[in-house]
Amino acid sequence: MTGLLQDIKLFGEYIPWLQALRNKGRDSFEEQGVPTAKTEAWKYTKPRDLNADDFVFLPSNFLDELRAETTEACCCHHENCDCSGDCRHEDCGCGHHHDDSHECGCGGECHCHNHELNLNYGIPFDAYQIHFVNGKFIPIFPALPRGVEIITLMEAVLIDEAKEHLGKIAELDGYPFAALNTAYMEEGIYIRINKDVKLDKPIMLINHTEAGSKNLFCNLRNLIVLENGAEAELVEWYKYAGAQKSRYFTNIVNEIVLGKNSRFNHYKLQDEAYKANHVSLSFVKQKAEAEYRSFCLQKGANIGRNEIKVRLTDEKASAEVNAAYIMSGWATLDTTTNIEHLAPQTFSEQLVKGVVNGDARGVFQGKIHIAPDAVQTAGHQLHKALLLSDTAEIDVKPELEIFADDVKCSHGAASGELDERQLFYMQSRGIGREEAKQILIDAYLEDVISKIQNEAVRNWIKSAAQTEPVK
Amino acid sequence: MSKTPLLEIENLHAKVGDKEIIKGFNLTINEGEVHAVMGPNGAGKSTLSNVICGKPGYEITSGSIRFKGKDLTKMSVEERAREGIFLCMQYPVEIPGVPTTTFLKHAVNAVRKHRNQPELDTMEFVKMVREEGKKLGIDADMIKRPVNVGFSGGEKKRLETLQMTVLKPCFSILDEADSGLDIDALKVVSEGVNALRDGQRSMLVITHYQRLLNYVVPDFVHVYADGRIVKSGDKNLALELEEKGYAEFVKEK
Repeated sequence: MTGLLQDIKLFGEYIPWLQALRNKGRDSFEEQGVPTAKTEAWKYTKPRDLNADDFVFLPSNFLDELRAETTEACCCHHENCDCSGDCRHEDCGCGHHHDDSHECGCGGECHCHNHELNLNYGIPFDAYQIHFVNGKFIPIFPALPRGVEIITLMEAVLIDEAKEHLGKIAELDGYPFAALNTAYMEEGIYIRINKDVKLDKPIMLINHTEAGSKNLFCNLRNLIVLENGAEAELVEWYKYAGAQKSRYFTNIVNEIVLGKNSRFNHYKLQDEAYKANHVSLSFVKQKAEAEYRSFCLQKGANIGRNEIKVRLTDEKASAEVNAAYIMSGWATLDTTTNIEHLAPQTFSEQLVKGVVNGDARGVFQGKIHIAPDAVQTAGHQLHKALLLSDTAEIDVKPELEIFADDVKCSHGAASGELDERQLFYMQSRGIGREEAKQILIDAYLEDVISKIQNEAVRNWIKSAAQTEPVK
Repeated sequence: MSKTPLLEIENLHAKVGDKEIIKGFNLTINEGEVHAVMGPNGAGKSTLSNVICGKPGYEITSGSIRFKGKDLTKMSVEERAREGIFLCMQYPVEIPGVPTTTFLKHAVNAVRKHRNQPELDTMEFVKMVREEGKKLGIDADMIKRPVNVGFSGGEKKRLETLQMTVLKPCFSILDEADSGLDIDALKVVSEGVNALRDGQRSMLVITHYQRLLNYVVPDFVHVYADGRIVKSGDKNLALELEEKGYAEFVKEK
């Protein structure tokens, strides 16, 4: 068995319905286990590292420990430098990554890893910020306008706020990591936007991982409820600092309930360390005329999977699920979608584009299900990938299940390489070959990134896409 | 006045795949000179310009090309461009998704960087492109569009000329620059080209017809057939060719 199932103490074990839910998750995961090559839904993405037995669960007082550990053991006490932790000095024995070049200009006088909690990550737009470090909530709450509530999931459990939806939107069967997440349900937030309230700026959820040499395992469970007519935007940002070699595992489940005529824009940047495992599942349930729009850029992790399941349960609900991935090395980045059209005149559209280099593998599995009642619906899906090396690979599995007449459905997939004639044209104007490639890659991703409605978020994602992923 | 050679091609042989296209080509172009190379279709005129620019797919089997005294064949395509070689292409390439301004800015700054000049900021750059574009009848809207995408033949050639103007190369190759141009566009493009003639910059005009040479008047004209220069003369040679055709230079097969 895997090291992912351990006996740890969780908050609120005395709450019967919560504990019953966790037990159900645990039983389900025990039954399903870590997916293997035989698991159909995971046949292209093989999370082998998740069979390791050295995963570490952080205790709730980890912040104190982290600080104590580093201030005492670390030999690299330098202060007042501008390196913002980016200067990596190799193997001085402190467990942090250093090198002696000190290109940051600190002359070796920097304090790179003092582990003071610095939550200023340079977010280039105004947002209601929610911070997690290593999957643990940092208790700083943004000042919110009327009609918006953000509390921790466990607070929500205590006052029974979350009881109506928690565990009812997410599915366990066929989703082993949702089951695992349910077994450890504790960290995460509950967001509620009241009826007809329109949020003026995005909520930003940041999980910053600084795992050191440990293979941390963290679960995040978020419940997001938009009441009828509400409008909100959420940005999820998964990032890391310091040691990159940890095979840490971040396992996220979002349950999203969209009331009638509500609008929810859901953006995400997955920029985990290059050996990390990142599995995220968003379950979305939409009432009549509700609009869900999502965009996810994946550029980090060794195994990264962003999976979205949308259920359009009532008439005229619509979903737009877009994504991009940029990768090199040996990574596998997976985008899996499942859109269920369960009512008439529901609409969905998907555009996923990837850029794959090195020995990396891009995976897209997209399913559109149209129920017998769901007449006059439309579901469109397109996946495109740019292969930059001979050993890069993409695996695409589109599935259409149509049980109704009078529907419009399409799917398409294309892959290609950079156009040598275009590269020559740019080079003949003095543009270096690598720079020319980057210009073409940016142009390739332009149309999918331009689908991000929020301009500030769009520019932020665009610049993230232009930064080379870690090799 | 002593002349400084800019481009020196000696006994050049080049092939594409197994087929030898250039067979013993010799040409020296000094600073400030404009040379025209004229030849029938299939003589290998475009191969010549591609070999000078370093386009992949061409193999130089013998001979040498020197530019400002340096061995050109050892330089990458972009290095040649930064050294001051510009190819005004017969068929400019379309680059969907890349705005013309973005493309131009990357190019201008790459060349400026090479010349140890400071990179232009967006304001300075836009101002320069607008001014130069105006002279060539290029409006601000056109340079916002993706590079060459949906451009007419005339627009493409104007954009080539604009690139030449802003990159300020010391050596330009005009490869069939007049193809697809109506008479008005031809005048505009020629004026742009002539504006770069300052007694220092040199040009190689590759053309099938004499027409362009009425506007860009060459110092020397060479007849190019079967991979080498078979006759050289002054601008009058072009007129002669226009009258008699290339028949006497093309070998009976």
